[in-house]
Amino acid sequence: MIQLYFFILIPIIIASISYLFKTRYNKPLILISQLILFVCSVINFTHIKNNSPITSILGNYKAGVGIALKADIISSVFVMLTIFLFTCMIIYNFRKHYMNNLFLFLFLILQGLINGIFLSMDFFNLYVLIEVSTIVVSILIMFKKDSRSIYDGMLYLLINIVAMTFFLIGIGYIYKIFGSLDITIIQDKMIRVTDIKSLILPYSLIITAISLKSAVMPLFSWLPRAHGTHSSPSIVSAILSGLYVKCGVYLFFRIQNMFSPAFDTSTIFLIMGFLTAVVGFIFALSQVDIKLILSYHTISQIGLIIFGLSLNNTYSYWGSIYHIINHAIFKSVLFLTAGIIIEEYETRDIRQIRGVFKRMPFVSIFTFMAILGITGAPFFNGSISKYLIQKGSYSGLMDYGFILINLGTILSFVKYLSMFRGSYDGKKYSPPFNQKIAIAMLGTLCFLGGIMGIELIKFLFNVNLHITLDGYLIKSLLYIVSIILGLFFYRFLYKKIKLFNNIREINLSFNQICLTITIYFSIILTTMLILEKYNYI
Amino acid sequence: MNNIINGETIGIALFFIGMYGLLARRNIIKTIISMGIIQSGIILFFLTINYTDNSIPPIGKNIEKVTSDPLPQALMITAVVIGISITAVSLTMFITLYHRYGTTNWYKATKKRGENI
Repeated sequence: MIQLYFFILIPIIIASISYLFKTRYNKPLILISQLILFVCSVINFTHIKNNSPITSILGNYKAGVGIALKADIISSVFVMLTIFLFTCMIIYNFRKHYMNNLFLFLFLILQGLINGIFLSMDFFNLYVLIEVSTIVVSILIMFKKDSRSIYDGMLYLLINIVAMTFFLIGIGYIYKIFGSLDITIIQDKMIRVTDIKSLILPYSLIITAISLKSAVMPLFSWLPRAHGTHSSPSIVSAILSGLYVKCGVYLFFRIQNMFSPAFDTSTIFLIMGFLTAVVGFIFALSQVDIKLILSYHTISQIGLIIFGLSLNNTYSYWGSIYHIINHAIFKSVLFLTAGIIIEEYETRDIRQIRGVFKRMPFVSIFTFMAILGITGAPFFNGSISKYLIQKGSYSGLMDYGFILINLGTILSFVKYLSMFRGSYDGKKYSPPFNQKIAIAMLGTLCFLGGIMGIELIKFLFNVNLHITLDGYLIKSLLYIVSIILGLFFYRFLYKKIKLFNNIREINLSFNQICLTITIYFSIILTTMLILEKYNYI
Repeated sequence: MNNIINGETIGIALFFIGMYGLLARRNIIKTIISMGIIQSGIILFFLTINYTDNSIPPIGKNIEKVTSDPLPQALMITAVVIGISITAVSLTMFITLYHRYGTTNWYKATKKRGENI
């Protein structure tokens, strides 16, 4: 068993050393250390899988005084995923010219911080980690110093800091009530709270911040700009969209779990998740910039994950957690290949990119795999997680809601597919060897995660889930029908709907985003108070 | 009346004054100042949440009197450091933004974002 703080500290130490001693062998050494770190995380994972969760308290203080780090089975899987994805990204970017010492320094620090967010059990420590990672991410977004990305990076930084002030004042109230900031201790004490009304204010404050971090419906307008900005390196987009947003989702279900003895707000977030998913794909349909399509699509998938987590059903819960991992993998592939396509065509406009399949067959094959994964095609990883989420949505209305979300996903990707058609006669493009390895590895995982989905869930989370064959067949039929519907929609209806042109350029300014945060907070607060008054929660 | 005017309520009042600044002011510098106000409001809030009268600092051994809670103070030292670094980073970014866009106004910067400059 490896001490938990290693996963946070080692990347930061390696980053600092490699930044101080600028040798020629920096990149290979970093790669080797990444591999060692990955092996360590696997060792820790197997230890946790066979034994109990590990808790370690920094500085050998007693529990409740020191900062606690805890790795249970979910967080250890996420740590493994983080290190794996960062390793892939470093392999992918091995020979890029902007990949200098400063970039690697920031990138590795981000890895340590994300690991820290997954492991930390102390609220204030979480605040510090999120705050520092926000600064690192905003510097990474504006790394190429394009004027548009400077605006986007600054907006990202300020919005997230405003949201985190809500978080900080929320944990102030938590401390006032419980006298502790440790999540485990608070969860134990939660049952003993008699005055539930006093918990509503801290809950609303914290959940507002978490909702912004995970881009729930009205609070997502920072996300497409941060993830899909011009000139932001494609590995940064991939990490942000694949992994960093998941920190918000991870905290979301940790906090929902913590407050579950006091009240149950899953109905609110069921609706919010559904709305997020729908609004996300409507925006994705309206965009013409390929990176923006992908980043709006992230919002839609986040909505789906939150929808699944709020269904209060074992199947959909594990389906959502599996979908977090799947989404991290296929979204990384999509962002990486989109980066290659943009570089080669020198445009981001989907209407001007044609004939990708003829021009870069290798890239296209793995993009196809990722698209099949994300739309939930049979035998690909998305189908397993979406099937599990759907299995949990027992009543008719939710079932239709889920089908609508999936139809939207497929519609937006039919549009994305249009750039592969067309002819091209020139020289074929083949990416460098290291990029091939990274893309092929991630793309193959999309397929492996599909055909071995149930075994993988059993292996990763120790839960036994069953997929019935006829249910899966119905789902596959539904998929084919949706594809046909999508083709028809795109062929005949898409150009006639004026809405898509109107919402394409919606651009909220800083003040408007702050206003939406405040409105969201007050809506959550008043809804909770009303529900509490009539004893619904 | 004395019960209402304590550090906690003033902290929350400062928080909302800062929020007003964020909502209503279009100047980027004023936005950063508003965030500073929010930070100090939160610090005041934290320092007074578990305050008891006539308490002494928890220094030394075998203290018999009521001691004040040291944890919020320790946390707030970190929060002060984070607040300073955030202000510094956002001011640095603002300078770069100002060189590119030539404006201190959020609305004008948002409008100019789409153009190539």
